[in-house]
Amino acid sequence: MADEFPFEISPMFEGERIRKEGMYVELAGPKSKGFELVRAVEMGEVEDGKFTLIGPDIQDMEEGSRHPLAMIYKIAGELVEADLESIVERRNHEFQNYIQGLMHLNQRYDIWLRISKDAVNKGMTSFEQIAKAIMMLFKNELSFIEKVEAIYITDLDEIEKEIGNATEIYKARDERTRNLHDEDVDTFYGCTLCQSFAPTNVCVVSPDRVSLCGAINWFDGRAAAKVDPEGPQFAIPKGELIDAESGEYTGINEAAKKLSSGEYDRIKLHSFFDCPHTSCGCFEVVGFYIPEVDGIGWVDRDFPGTAPNGLQFSTMAGQTGGGKQVIGFLGIGIHYFRSPKFIQADGGWNRVVWMPKLLKDKVYDDIPEEIRDKVATEEDVADVESLKAFLKERNHPVLERWVEEEEEEVPEEEKAPGTLPQAGFAVPQMMQAANFMPSMPMMSGGGSGGVRIVLKNAKVSIDKVIIKKED
Amino acid sequence: MSDIPTGSISIEDLENVQITIGKVVGAIEKKASDEGIEVGPTPKPGISTLRDWDYKLLSRYQPVYTPVCDQCCYCTFGKCDLSGNKEGACGINMEGHQAREFMLRVITGAAAHAGHGRHLLHHLIHLHGRDHPIDVGPSNLLAPNIQAVTGIKPETIGDLEEVMDYVEEQLTQLLATVHAGQEGSAMDFESKALHGGMLDHVGMEVSDIVQISCMGMPKSDPEAPLAEIGMGCIDSTKPVLLVIGHNVAGVTNIIDYLNDHDLSDKVELAGLCCTAIDMTRYQMDKGGKPYAKIVGSLAKELKMIRSGVPDVIVVDEQCVRADVLAESKKLSIPVITTNEKIMYGLPNRTNSSPESIIEDLSSGREAGALILDYDLLAEVSTELTIKMSKIRDEMGIKALPNEEELREIAARCVQCGACEMDCPDNLPIMAAMKAGAEGDFTKFEYLHDKCIACGRCDQACPKEIPILNIMEKASQKLIREEKGYMRAGRGQISDPEIREEGVNLVFGTTPGIIAMVGCSNYPDGTKDLYTVADEMLKRNYIVLMSGCSAMDLGMYKDEYGQTLYEKYPSKFLAGNLINVGSCVSNAHITGAAIKVAAIFAQRQVAGNYEEIADYITNRIGAVGVAWGAYSQKASSIATGCNRLGIPVVVGPHGSKYRKALIGKPYDEDTWKVYDARDGSEMPIPPSPEFLLTTADTIEELLPMLAKNCIRPSDGNLGRMIKLTHYIEMSQKYLGQMPDDWYKFVRGETDLPIAKREELLKILEKDYGWEIDWKRKKIISGPAMKLDISSQPTNVKRLCKEGC
Repeated sequence: MADEFPFEISPMFEGERIRKEGMYVELAGPKSKGFELVRAVEMGEVEDGKFTLIGPDIQDMEEGSRHPLAMIYKIAGELVEADLESIVERRNHEFQNYIQGLMHLNQRYDIWLRISKDAVNKGMTSFEQIAKAIMMLFKNELSFIEKVEAIYITDLDEIEKEIGNATEIYKARDERTRNLHDEDVDTFYGCTLCQSFAPTNVCVVSPDRVSLCGAINWFDGRAAAKVDPEGPQFAIPKGELIDAESGEYTGINEAAKKLSSGEYDRIKLHSFFDCPHTSCGCFEVVGFYIPEVDGIGWVDRDFPGTAPNGLQFSTMAGQTGGGKQVIGFLGIGIHYFRSPKFIQADGGWNRVVWMPKLLKDKVYDDIPEEIRDKVATEEDVADVESLKAFLKERNHPVLERWVEEEEEEVPEEEKAPGTLPQAGFAVPQMMQAANFMPSMPMMSGGGSGGVRIVLKNAKVSIDKVIIKKED
Repeated sequence: MSDIPTGSISIEDLENVQITIGKVVGAIEKKASDEGIEVGPTPKPGISTLRDWDYKLLSRYQPVYTPVCDQCCYCTFGKCDLSGNKEGACGINMEGHQAREFMLRVITGAAAHAGHGRHLLHHLIHLHGRDHPIDVGPSNLLAPNIQAVTGIKPETIGDLEEVMDYVEEQLTQLLATVHAGQEGSAMDFESKALHGGMLDHVGMEVSDIVQISCMGMPKSDPEAPLAEIGMGCIDSTKPVLLVIGHNVAGVTNIIDYLNDHDLSDKVELAGLCCTAIDMTRYQMDKGGKPYAKIVGSLAKELKMIRSGVPDVIVVDEQCVRADVLAESKKLSIPVITTNEKIMYGLPNRTNSSPESIIEDLSSGREAGALILDYDLLAEVSTELTIKMSKIRDEMGIKALPNEEELREIAARCVQCGACEMDCPDNLPIMAAMKAGAEGDFTKFEYLHDKCIACGRCDQACPKEIPILNIMEKASQKLIREEKGYMRAGRGQISDPEIREEGVNLVFGTTPGIIAMVGCSNYPDGTKDLYTVADEMLKRNYIVLMSGCSAMDLGMYKDEYGQTLYEKYPSKFLAGNLINVGSCVSNAHITGAAIKVAAIFAQRQVAGNYEEIADYITNRIGAVGVAWGAYSQKASSIATGCNRLGIPVVVGPHGSKYRKALIGKPYDEDTWKVYDARDGSEMPIPPSPEFLLTTADTIEELLPMLAKNCIRPSDGNLGRMIKLTHYIEMSQKYLGQMPDDWYKFVRGETDLPIAKREELLKILEKDYGWEIDWKRKKIISGPAMKLDISSQPTNVKRLCKEGC
């Protein structure tokens, strides 16, 4: 199989590491230069399958040496467009790692490759072989690519000429990703990949909302839908805008109804409380409502402790998943913290009161500056009471929501410490006062509730009495 | 006090009376409803409750029996010849009897774990009280097997008593059916065996949960420490205390004693079998380095004793050789038994003073003692070890023959072949003897690696040659180098880990989960395990280990001197290697599968076994491997996996189970399920192809593992990756394309990406499929289509109403 190449191509080589001792040549990397770039061009500008090398080939390189490397792929096809470039480019990393004896790390201008001695001995002597394999894989995997051409450069001067241009392209791409919002497109994407495990879940992916698992963004959805429109990722026409603030669209509602087999008919993309997005099982973070402060806390998978509400991630996650709309809990991908529309229907960041320290650090730069030091972590507070105090002290915007309630709450709080112990002590007193009315503090589980049994003309039968000497 | 009569009594005055209610009938349902949890249709199922599910499995995976013995010798009406379709005196036929025998093995194994669990539970409730909380890590679903089967959501260790009551009651009911003249249906015995296997996972879960909660064992810890393993890591210059067995309860007292008396660097504590695994978990939940060392699995037991290195041996229960006392006596090693399951006829010294026991044992007056009190055990075993070390040194105990003697002994061999006939692996002992007589003992080194030290050759030899001793002596150099690492058992897979791995499972980038379980006695030595695990890990499968297999895997190193435990990380993620722990930790493997159903599909777990099993059967690409299957426990573990629809491959020795559960890929009618969306029938690929089958070599095994991770609900990416590994391993290990690969292709996106064009050509040419070559799409041919949203189920009642 695949006899045309003098190397094996398989996902099993993805994790292959090539150490210095086994390395024939190192390409690009931190001590050299290079980049990888995919460009969408017109059909006429590509000669399908053509490979051009500028500079020395593998066989001309000395064992143990280091060389710069740039890889440029031109793709064309009826459905090919510039928005797909980054998706194809990411595949270059994946596919090069499929090749036995070739290691590819990082992306864009940070790429770092190594070719092993074994591979060269087995016949990997030219970049042409590698480029041909990658082009073959591109076309197999991404059927919208009708024509592809590769240009590899190992000549430093040539690379330096091109690298500025490449950097400009990356920048423009990032700009577009950042500035692309829900309102700028007319199509969202649905993903039902989860349904093989979570039968009712439907993810709606929009420019301002990545999938819950964090693995599919709007561009991924677009590329996949082009490859196979009937596949697990498909276009959802946005339809009419119902409410911009919460992100409700007729198109999404129709899709929700159809895909959940009628279970849900409304999904609002950026809402926490009202018709929130469904949650599958892989979400990285769970949001939870803290009624005492009318705010929202977030806890991630890696946080082993308990949140101020006394619950652990796994407990709250247990209530959240399964492709259901659960009011009061919401699963999200970490990327969603970066969305400018982050739960904007419910106040966005102004509603966020607590996060684990590590999670907060991770998204620190995305938190609006004026909120940053007002979001508590486990280092600041341990429970709801101390959270309340913290929010008051830092003057968190969520305070505006509870001004009225607070006045009612204060007297209650003062009353509470006095009344509680009395209620607790009342139980044994009652037992002595009432004749033949033994109540059972043992079963009360810590003072509240309990069972009171009234015995009148009763028979107590005991199966077995075990008499034991006290130790 | 003794005046309380039985019968009715009236109490005049009740004052300060406490009434304790032990059990409230209907409590599970009540508690669950209080907590807002529904309980499914089958809490605490009886023998017949899940029979319909079993019959569904058994109609696709039909039992095949290959009896080794044609007779039934169970009662004195017989023995009865059952060959040639004859019935026995009670009316039972060959099939029925084979199924019964298999069930007996299963419940024997289940009873071993459940008995272990009950003992630990008693012991730890005594120490910590019933209200001690269950703490196994950051999970919401703390006891997946227990919850799925019994509907009980245990929170304290006291809650586990009711679970054990249930398991014990069911095991008794199952054992009762072995009696002559009852069940005649092989299918019903198979269903009963599946019931027993399910109970086993509940019993195991109780055992491990209670010890993790009370003994400070790692709690779902991916960073569980590495423990030293191998005969070569035992420092024989120190007094050596050897513990053997499965129940770590008494050993924890020994470890505490050593620590409390500053003896931990003066006495070498070594363990064999699962007690060894569990003692490296003891008090490791906060990290640290395990103090105890692991010698290895059951296969090292006789070798370790015969080496003469141990100064005292302490045994507890389960996989302990019946001749430990006899073997130890020869080398003046006192043996202490600590569990009612093994007492070796020794006097019960539980109420004696430590001094008198030490005196009796060190003087040789008694060969050993039964001590059921663990504080006493700790003191006696430790102090005796220190004392015996000196005494045995002075006695000049010589365990193994010297070089000269070796040659003389080897020369006694008359090449009769009795040893090879009796060797379970038919190892070439005669050739080694012949070379040995001429002074070349290298052939014995080769035998050492493959030998499981059962000692049957010694018994068979008419010339009374101590074959095992020769082998061990000849392999001293190898044995000294036998040093490896095993990751201490980490316990459960936590809920957050399952969630994290969810993306990979859904996308298919984790092609499957391979659980390597069971005992030693691998067809080609322990290196088999290394080869299989390494290959699967490289291919990004998650590899789970437990028990003896977990130990044996730690004995091999790669070219950089690393064991696989050092080489691969140990989270529940693609390409990770996990050791869940000892034999009873096997429950965490099925537990992980149950958790996937609970977490991703939000399936109700409590008392909902059938639905959970159905989910796992159709969705979770997991395969168990019991490559050296040996004990009854291995068969009960495997059978418990089977009831959840998880297939198990056993090695050639496992064929002595005398039974397989095999599907018929050619019978298309059996490869159909319902689509729960509308109740319509949908075809599924023939995978898993079996629930229980045998492979002879790892070359046969590896492609089999890849294939049997395929499930009906695979997405295209997942199917593509699974198929890639199946085809690749078939080519790599068997030198050919598998003959059924096309059956798993639903569309062009299922095809391995690097070979897509080539395979399309084959599909067109050899199978007559229609291909649109311009778009490289399959137009017609596949027996089923890809529909990621379909909801395969074997259970009609789970389909949407109105269908």
